[in-house]
Amino acid sequence: MIERFGLHESTFDPLWYTHWALAATLVLPILAGLLGARCAPRRLFPVALACLPILLAGALLVFDYQQAGLLRWQWQVAGVEISLRFNGLSGLMLMITQWVGAAAALYTPGHLRITHPGKRARWLWPLMGVLISSLSLIWLAADLLTLYAALELMGLAAVGMLLLSGKPAALKAGIRYLLLALVGSLAYLLGVALLLGYWGALGLQALAEVVEPGPVTWVAAALIGAGLALKAALFPLHGWLTPVHENAWTPVSALHAALVIKASLFILLMLWSILLPGTLLAPRFVAWLGMLAIVWGGLIAWRADSLKTLVASSTVGQLGYLMVAFPLLLGPSITPLAEALAWEGFWLHLMGHSLAKAAMFMAAGNLIIATGESSLRGLSGTSRRLPLSLLIFGIAAVTLMGLPPSAGFTAKWLLLQALVISQQWVAVAALLAGTLLTAAYVFRVFRYSFDETAPRHQYQPLAPGMDIIALCLALAAFALGLLAHLPLALIQGGGV
Amino acid sequence: MNAAWLPLTTLATSLLAAAVIFLLPEEARRLRTSINLLAAVSKIILVALMVVRVSQGYEDTFSFQIVGGVEFVLRADALGVMFAGLSSLLWLCTTIYAIGYLEGAANRKRFFGFFSLCVASTLGIALAGNLFTFLIFYEMLTLSTYPLVVHSGTAKALAAGRVYLRYTLTAGVVLLLGVVLLYSLTNDYSFASEEGLSPYLNDHRGLLTLIFVLLVGGLAVKAAMVPLHGWLPRAMVAPAPVSALLHAVAVVKAGAFGILRVIYDLYGIELSVQLGVTTWLAVAASITIIYGSLRAIAQQELKPRLAFSTISQVSYVVLGVSLFGPFGTIGALAHLLHQGFMKVTLFFCAGNYAEELGIHRIDEMDGAGKRMPLTSLAFTVGALGMIGLPPIAGFITKWYLGVGAIQAEMYWVVAVLVASSTLNAVYFLPIVHRLWFREGPAHGKGAWPKEQRLGRLETHGWLLWPAVFTALVSIGAGLLAGLPFSPLDWATRVAVGEYLP
Amino acid sequence: MIASFDVIQSGLALGLVVVAFACLFDRHLLRASALFVLFALLMSVSWWYLSAPWLALTELVLGMVLTGGSFFYALRAFPSAAMAAPHVDGSQHVLSHRLTRGLLALAWCAMIGVAIHYVMPEMAYSFAGHPLILASIVIAATAMGAFALHRHLLRRLLAFNILGSGVFILLAGMAGTVSGAQALISVGLTIAWLGTLLGVMLIRHLVILEGVSALEDENDAAGQAQ
Repeated sequence: MIERFGLHESTFDPLWYTHWALAATLVLPILAGLLGARCAPRRLFPVALACLPILLAGALLVFDYQQAGLLRWQWQVAGVEISLRFNGLSGLMLMITQWVGAAAALYTPGHLRITHPGKRARWLWPLMGVLISSLSLIWLAADLLTLYAALELMGLAAVGMLLLSGKPAALKAGIRYLLLALVGSLAYLLGVALLLGYWGALGLQALAEVVEPGPVTWVAAALIGAGLALKAALFPLHGWLTPVHENAWTPVSALHAALVIKASLFILLMLWSILLPGTLLAPRFVAWLGMLAIVWGGLIAWRADSLKTLVASSTVGQLGYLMVAFPLLLGPSITPLAEALAWEGFWLHLMGHSLAKAAMFMAAGNLIIATGESSLRGLSGTSRRLPLSLLIFGIAAVTLMGLPPSAGFTAKWLLLQALVISQQWVAVAALLAGTLLTAAYVFRVFRYSFDETAPRHQYQPLAPGMDIIALCLALAAFALGLLAHLPLALIQGGGV
Repeated sequence: MNAAWLPLTTLATSLLAAAVIFLLPEEARRLRTSINLLAAVSKIILVALMVVRVSQGYEDTFSFQIVGGVEFVLRADALGVMFAGLSSLLWLCTTIYAIGYLEGAANRKRFFGFFSLCVASTLGIALAGNLFTFLIFYEMLTLSTYPLVVHSGTAKALAAGRVYLRYTLTAGVVLLLGVVLLYSLTNDYSFASEEGLSPYLNDHRGLLTLIFVLLVGGLAVKAAMVPLHGWLPRAMVAPAPVSALLHAVAVVKAGAFGILRVIYDLYGIELSVQLGVTTWLAVAASITIIYGSLRAIAQQELKPRLAFSTISQVSYVVLGVSLFGPFGTIGALAHLLHQGFMKVTLFFCAGNYAEELGIHRIDEMDGAGKRMPLTSLAFTVGALGMIGLPPIAGFITKWYLGVGAIQAEMYWVVAVLVASSTLNAVYFLPIVHRLWFREGPAHGKGAWPKEQRLGRLETHGWLLWPAVFTALVSIGAGLLAGLPFSPLDWATRVAVGEYLP
Repeated sequence: MIASFDVIQSGLALGLVVVAFACLFDRHLLRASALFVLFALLMSVSWWYLSAPWLALTELVLGMVLTGGSFFYALRAFPSAAMAAPHVDGSQHVLSHRLTRGLLALAWCAMIGVAIHYVMPEMAYSFAGHPLILASIVIAATAMGAFALHRHLLRRLLAFNILGSGVFILLAGMAGTVSGAQALISVGLTIAWLGTLLGVMLIRHLVILEGVSALEDENDAAGQAQ
């Protein structure tokens, strides 16, 4: 299991340009962000120009991985060993991060031009840069210290971004999120302290070699799990998620829902697969929570009155699908086939959800901007006036519902197959029920939009590109579903 | 020689048409019409090409990998091409009709975009080479028909859309479960595989039966088999071309076609019989046939009566399949085509009456034959064909089904057929009688509910000619059934292929 | 010699606990902030005493000067009357909320207890032998309780900082002051400062926008209204 996370020795040293690609991946987003704060771009073109080298660096890293296999870096800083590794999974997550990040960045100028947020908007760019950099670091980090630092940096940048809209409700929700995230990180830190005190290792690989099941490991795993679950908004610790998204700017919501919570989940899965390989209880517990999450998330999204609440609540349910896969990834006596299927399905779902959720937030944001109303009722008649935004919303929703031909469907297929093979029928039922619940709340939106009797509003025209970027993201989720074996080939290569 | 581009291009024509239509502005009426017609015609040409290729013995296959062990396969085999031919021919007719029908209406871009998407899904269903691909297009069909059903945006339409989704999405989930179970049992499984699932019979009898029930249960919702038919009459609120499309080609037929695929290409006839599922299927189909007819008699409005008639007629296909014999198979396959032509004619005519004269109820139709002779002729042809009178196509299928039932020694099926034909006559002949032999507004008695003079002819030409054309095809398919490439001939070819591999 | 060491350590521990308690439960915001600065100073001394001079310096700069300064910065936005008046939690929590929060805090304490039990089994025999760790447990537990039950945002922020300090000492106690632990604590201190700064800026903004009453965590009240 841990080989899949790339925690083993590499065969080749990285090439000289790989170091530069790494540096570019980690540093360029921050630099670009600072530049953005300086110049405050108002057009797409400069943003695209800034994104290009970052995307190239990420692609180069993936290319190197395909050439040389696992890439590792280690440095000694003040007696502490910092280590990074780049395997297929890191590459996949990095690409998703960079592309979704680039899409959000490209969406931003148009959004800012229409909403006129004032001087605060300047801060968005550096925060976005820090967020992307720290996310990239999380995918690469191979020791608990780096992970901790990157996680916290990401969390703070995320809180900062969510608060930029400056509405009192946003501030209140934001400070609640901040406090919870900080306490969550203390729980994580205490877990790490336990591991360090008992096993004396911070590097993940070293830890994986020495760690043995026992009360200490369990308590550490529980502390780390609780802290990260809080940050990842895993059911039932999701209470902070919806109010935070309700008031945030669209590109910020998109980034947050698509990437930030996934990072915590990624760390959770990685650390648990080191600490708790082959345990039954904890992953099973998570899976039960996941089933509840699917149902509960669907229900609260169904009851939602505002579009953004609906989109945000659906994240809770969608994370449930991922939680359901935990016993297959960590549990004992899982057949290799089921494990491999669940592994692929897990990451495919994560990626598909990232793309689709970002697209959906953007589409929802576009609808809200154009109609000037954030409630579902305000959507009446939009199918005539804003067909494109609605179509994007629909395409993204297809992925969330897990209907073909989307990444959500292929992922659900893989997960279902894994669950069927390992005969977890309750989970199968939960997954299938999730499809119907998702359809229920998604088509609620459409029912309002097809209503022709509504009075005509004055619609605010959108900036160029705002719809196109969202459309590209939504279609990318489709393409990911149809060509799933290409990205999945990357994560199959990592040992096993 | 494998022309992989052929099925792909055929699929892509409608997908591309949909994409282009979505990109065009709402006002670009002429351009949209040209693109629609161009795509429809080029698709017919491509399908004709596929027909030629299949008759030469090629099976053009396009495939690529989705994930390990699961492939996306489009294959032009005889059965698939048959359905593709039906859908592409009727698509042209329906498109022409829809252009006339929606003249001046709102949201035409959305309508035609999803219309094309709907036909693309139908074509994908026809050409799907394995269950996974089938599932993809089956769900796409559900999604792309929803905007068509709720097109008018009234509260009634929205409610109908909700019911439609509730039925079809649940069915999709059931189907998905069945497909996943099958895949975890057998891995990727192509429709072209020769041996069927019989190797698994001994060890997994119960599981195979369960999977069969799930698959057919999921498909039966779209095929509107009793008691899963509830959505169909309600979906009648949709515009007439949509009703025609839903009933004659796309949704209902997709369900029936899926059942054909499951039985012929997935399980194989022998295995289905060994599992003992076909008898139950025949019983279910018979119940549906009788129930649908009985409900149709009770309807006072034209479109709901046609809807219940569809429920009844589509189950002939299922009945024919479950007869387990070459004649039953031929009857089932031919009925898939014949019913399509006849039912689309009836819906076109119903739409014409509604548009030109405002007629929705049956008792308003008195004497309409004088006012709209061609439409009424077409309607009469369709109605008589449904009853099963020679020389219209409907006769052929009922004949073959009857012979098949006798061959299979299931005499009660013959009784069902006779009863059903009688019931068909009971609900269609009064309409025909009203059309031609009652005196109505055309004879100076009373007035039409809402008369519009839509064209120089009895109605708008775009509305009239498709109906006339499909009526002629219905007669032609019956009269010229012996010629090569007639529906019957092709159905025989498919059936022979099934029975004599 | 050993005894004298213990005296200093015990004194430090006692001081930390007393100051932390005072800081957590003082309703006077200005005084609480001042107490926090004192607490950070004591923390710094403790690090020095635990022979981690760099950590002591970091604590001095980040904890005392910057974080403490942040609190005063927040208080500057308050109208002077509100700053001086003792804060009383006005509205009550919903019972279920209080219950869950209390339970979460208890779970937290239980986990700390188990962690101590396994990592430092000798603690079970001689509580007095490790007064600083004992103090850190008490501080972490109390601060968690305060964090869970306080409603005023500034007080919750204070509680978080004290909770963090408790966890840091605990970490040092369990892992020793090896370089890895020091690095973790330094990162933790930085994060705590940045988080506090962010929170303080928020609080200021909120006070300017909506007045002091907005700092009562309204979410529960809203939940009650629904």
